[in-house]
Amino acid sequence: MTMAEFSQWLYGVPVSRYLRNAGWIVPTVQSVHILAIAVLMGSGVVLDLKLAGFMAKTESSRAVFDRYMPWLWGALAMLFLTGLVMLTAEPDRVLSNWVFWTKMALVAVAFFSTLMLRIPMRRDGLAAASPNWSIAARPIALLSLAIWVLIIVCGRWIAYVI
Amino acid sequence: MNLNELLAYLHETGLATGIRESSAFPWIESVHVIAIATVVGTIAIVDLRLVGLAAHKRSVQKLLAELLPFTWWAFATAVSTGALLFISNAPSYAQNRPFQLKLAMIALAGINMALFNVFTRRTVHLWDELASPPALAKIAGLSSLTLWTAVICFGRWIGFSLEPFG
Repeated sequence: MTMAEFSQWLYGVPVSRYLRNAGWIVPTVQSVHILAIAVLMGSGVVLDLKLAGFMAKTESSRAVFDRYMPWLWGALAMLFLTGLVMLTAEPDRVLSNWVFWTKMALVAVAFFSTLMLRIPMRRDGLAAASPNWSIAARPIALLSLAIWVLIIVCGRWIAYVI
Repeated sequence: MNLNELLAYLHETGLATGIRESSAFPWIESVHVIAIATVVGTIAIVDLRLVGLAAHKRSVQKLLAELLPFTWWAFATAVSTGALLFISNAPSYAQNRPFQLKLAMIALAGINMALFNVFTRRTVHLWDELASPPALAKIAGLSSLTLWTAVICFGRWIGFSLEPFG
């Protein structure tokens, strides 16, 4: 089955038709998606700038991690769920859209870099042992933030590349 | 020149036409979304602290000092990109109800912030490190969260309800 065939099949599924025809659902789900992006940016800014040494200088990495990581994961979960609803409602809009797949690839990269970066942040010993840890982590932290920004750009461009 | 004439004039300018008829619009829009997400995301941290939810800094004053510069820079970016987006199709946006409500919500959020700064923030040294700030601070935080959520929702609805000009 090709992507086009899958997309066509999904488009005709009752759930997909219902989501599409109940006019309020897609805009509402999109709004929740954007609110989740805001939570992502808020927690991402604090986490990445802490990692880079620009923010929360008097707090331990562990404290910042414990406070904001749950919000980041929660936002990602909500983004995934709302994204799934939008994809189900309008599969033709995304499944054959190269901007959408670029965005998904970036999301995968961001997801794994989040997993990898946060683990050292939890280990205060590492941060305390090397005063240059922040400087070494700086480009990685800023890259992490840049990837989220690129994802947002891709997200907006989906609508313009159909 | 009345308002409608001004809006129609804006529509015909080189700037407006240039943005409207090129890929500039989606790019400006993308920066607008990033800016809004940063405004609401950073302000939510402050608002939740005011409501009584712990942030990474216990002190409200220190939290505000650390986060608000980001909020303001992001807001300036959101307003600049928003102005360009508006100018690209002034007559259509001016008559768009969700757009009008979005601006009204932003104005109310500004008033809420001003009231907080004039009345409640004056006494912050008394409750700076309390886990549960005074009622007025909580109301300010909750109002801010509600208003900015409304800003995002109305903002999304603009795209679904825009009438073409002409």
